[in-house]
Amino acid sequence: MSDIHYRSAVEFPFLSAPDGSISLADHSEYTKVLVRADRKTAAGKHLKVSYGRSRSRDGILICGSRPDEWTLLSEAHRSTEVAESVPRDGFVSVVDITHARTMFRISGSCAVDALAKVCNVDLADHMTPDGAVFSGSIAKVGCDVVRNDQEAGRSYLIACERSFGKYLFAVVADACAEFGIAIPSGMSTH
Amino acid sequence: MIVVPCPSCGPRNSSDLRNAGEVVPRPDPDTATLTEWRSYLYLRENPASWVTETWYCRNGCRRYFTIERNTATNEIRESDTT
Repeated sequence: MSDIHYRSAVEFPFLSAPDGSISLADHSEYTKVLVRADRKTAAGKHLKVSYGRSRSRDGILICGSRPDEWTLLSEAHRSTEVAESVPRDGFVSVVDITHARTMFRISGSCAVDALAKVCNVDLADHMTPDGAVFSGSIAKVGCDVVRNDQEAGRSYLIACERSFGKYLFAVVADACAEFGIAIPSGMSTH
Repeated sequence: MIVVPCPSCGPRNSSDLRNAGEVVPRPDPDTATLTEWRSYLYLRENPASWVTETWYCRNGCRRYFTIERNTATNEIRESDTT
């Protein structure tokens, strides 16, 4: 596990509407560690989060991203620490995928309306409450999404393959344009 | 739109999944003839009625699972095959 400098695929790290109703923030440098293990292993019992849910513990957001698979998210440069926090007894796979994923956060009261334009998953409260983890298509890119509400309101963390990051960020920014985000000159929205 | 019930993710639009085709019994590799292998690899019944199919949940849990689908009506029901 290395904590080498992260070079994000996203060109514009932060975009926001003037009234603060919606914002996009690049979090690609966040630590992302993928754990695959049976639920009966020490790692599975330690992580203890079911598929489709997430929970924060010791500064690590534990996301049940697939059956018997978890994605651990944390602040940047914590890869080694986060990976070593997972017990390795039994058949367990722990991989640092920080540099393999682009991740950004969409927040604000208009976030749902903007995301609904490009996402095929029902974002209603009863389907995806705070803490929900789900996968779906956003602008035809397969993404892992975590609803991680902040004090300011609704917020979603969106992660995709790094090579799609620049495109996806631009498409979501374009979807946010009608809610007040100004597209920077130089950003191609395809 | 066809709604396919994924065992892990629940009902999802078929565009979130991939149809991996009819379930065909795999012959014993030690005893199968070339004709049997060819049949296993390339030949399908493709009836206009109930078919046991494998689907892949590509946008969700990324698991393979089996269901029965009526190819004439796209009606779907659970399969006993695992």
